[in-house]
Amino acid sequence: MSDIERLNSMLPNSLSVEESREKGILTLSVGPQHPGSGHFRLIIKVDGDIIVDAEPDPGYVHRGEEKMCEYRNFMQNIPHLERPVIADSCSILYPYCLAIEELLNIEAPRRAKFIRVIMSEINKMIFELYWLGIYGIFLGHSTMFMWPMADRELLIDLAELASGARVTHAYFVPGGVRNDLPDIFKDRAVRQLKYFRNRLNEYSKVFYENPLFIDRTKGVGILSREDAINLGVTGPVLRGSNVPYDIRKVEPYDVYDELNFDVKYMKDGDCFARAYVPYLEMYESVDLILQALEKMPDGPVRAKLPPNPKGKVGEVFKRVEAGRGELAYYVISDGTQKPYRVKLSVPSFRAIPAMRKLLIGARLADMPAIYWGLNYWPVEADR
Amino acid sequence: MKNQSPTNFNIWVGKLKEAIVKTIEPPIGYAINWGRIWSLWPVHLETACCSLEFGAASGPRYDVERFGIIEAFGSLRQCDLMVIQGTVTRKMAPRVRMIYDQMPDPKYVIAMGACAITGGLYFDSYNVLPGIDSIVPVDVYVPGCPPRPETLIQGCILLQEKIKYTKFR
Ligand code: SF4
Repeated sequence: MSDIERLNSMLPNSLSVEESREKGILTLSVGPQHPGSGHFRLIIKVDGDIIVDAEPDPGYVHRGEEKMCEYRNFMQNIPHLERPVIADSCSILYPYCLAIEELLNIEAPRRAKFIRVIMSEINKMIFELYWLGIYGIFLGHSTMFMWPMADRELLIDLAELASGARVTHAYFVPGGVRNDLPDIFKDRAVRQLKYFRNRLNEYSKVFYENPLFIDRTKGVGILSREDAINLGVTGPVLRGSNVPYDIRKVEPYDVYDELNFDVKYMKDGDCFARAYVPYLEMYESVDLILQALEKMPDGPVRAKLPPNPKGKVGEVFKRVEAGRGELAYYVISDGTQKPYRVKLSVPSFRAIPAMRKLLIGARLADMPAIYWGLNYWPVEADR
Repeated sequence: MKNQSPTNFNIWVGKLKEAIVKTIEPPIGYAINWGRIWSLWPVHLETACCSLEFGAASGPRYDVERFGIIEAFGSLRQCDLMVIQGTVTRKMAPRVRMIYDQMPDPKYVIAMGACAITGGLYFDSYNVLPGIDSIVPVDVYVPGCPPRPETLIQGCILLQEKIKYTKFR
């Protein structure tokens, strides 16, 4: 059986038009304009309150990133490659830089590796807070929008201090990072992260012990361990389904093997677990940044490169752990200044089969919680 | 009067109407525009990544609500502001127009981000519209990639300024 057939056999069959007419089934089109995150459509068939069929319709933000990569050189690709997920812009550039470094046969200096870890963890937290805030909108909990948004600004300030831009940093380049951290960065980061950790303790009381949040997420959209593995979800969704799998541990890149951290996971596989895993990971990220700041050596932050470097002939596959899961790049070079083919494998796109699986049989009111709980970021999925 | 023809009468009525409109237009127009300025409801239509900064602008630090732009959670039928948040692709364009047509008059459009203005970074992509002027009329352009929330707020204030000086219809 091919992969596609296996995937199809796991998903329920969709209903034909005649069948749905007979059974009195109503078809709803949710999106692309809806009160949550837009740019995505779900075609939902409901029988009373129960969803009998759900068809995700992505592609509203398809901007042809992969094609554009082919007519820009290695360095020119940096700004547009971080646009698919500007909330997590360092993590999406990270595997690209790793791949190009291998093609150009250079290595980032040791200080740059630590700075990359710091920035990618900060960005991961920025993404997770934004995600949590929008989850609040989906569940009708305004405090849950306001608090993470306010704390996110602190971390954005940190990232801005290092890179000069609020969200689109273009900070990682093949061969290191664009510029060194300013002198005040360390003090500022330590102070703000300590404050942020105290805030995180309050989050638990206000959000995760909140009856509203618990009622709407506990036991909703349960994804079993087998399904999670077979449907190919990654990141917090996979770890929420009792699979402690993290690229940072499985295939350490840069200096992750020198830093101590745990892979956080939950056993239940419901929406609550999927929302709780990022929360636990934020603690880990804070720890990781503090450790990296301690261990960071002095030195250069960027390897010397000729102006228009040529890659060696060959192909590379690199992956990292982003805020939403495993993010991979597959780059083929034919020995010129431009990549021959760049393939982005993004975690959001892999949530789509699971989305259909979870939505079928769920109640209509649970749809927002399931949809946003899967860590689906439409712009990234469409690329 | 003998020479009171219907034509003369019509001219007289027309002049009277003009006079009345001239006297009451400034206060009423001012009042109505004032009402519109402070109750701009944006549609929640996100088209691409600029939506992130739109979210940040309605968050606690920037808080556009203090300028009378209410957070975008409302229904389409009560909205009068459309903020195009970034790239409009060929699949999205008909939907954007459809949403614009469903909004009641008067309606205003802010083009947010380089992508909405000219295509931005994606000017040579095969699936991206080079600017949204071809599908909806734009009132204010807010440049940036993405524009900082302050820039978006300035754009909103410019729009309010524009509404203030428009003639009431
Ligand atoms: S202007 Fe920049 S941030 Fe905005 S949609 Fe375009 S690429 Fe994204």
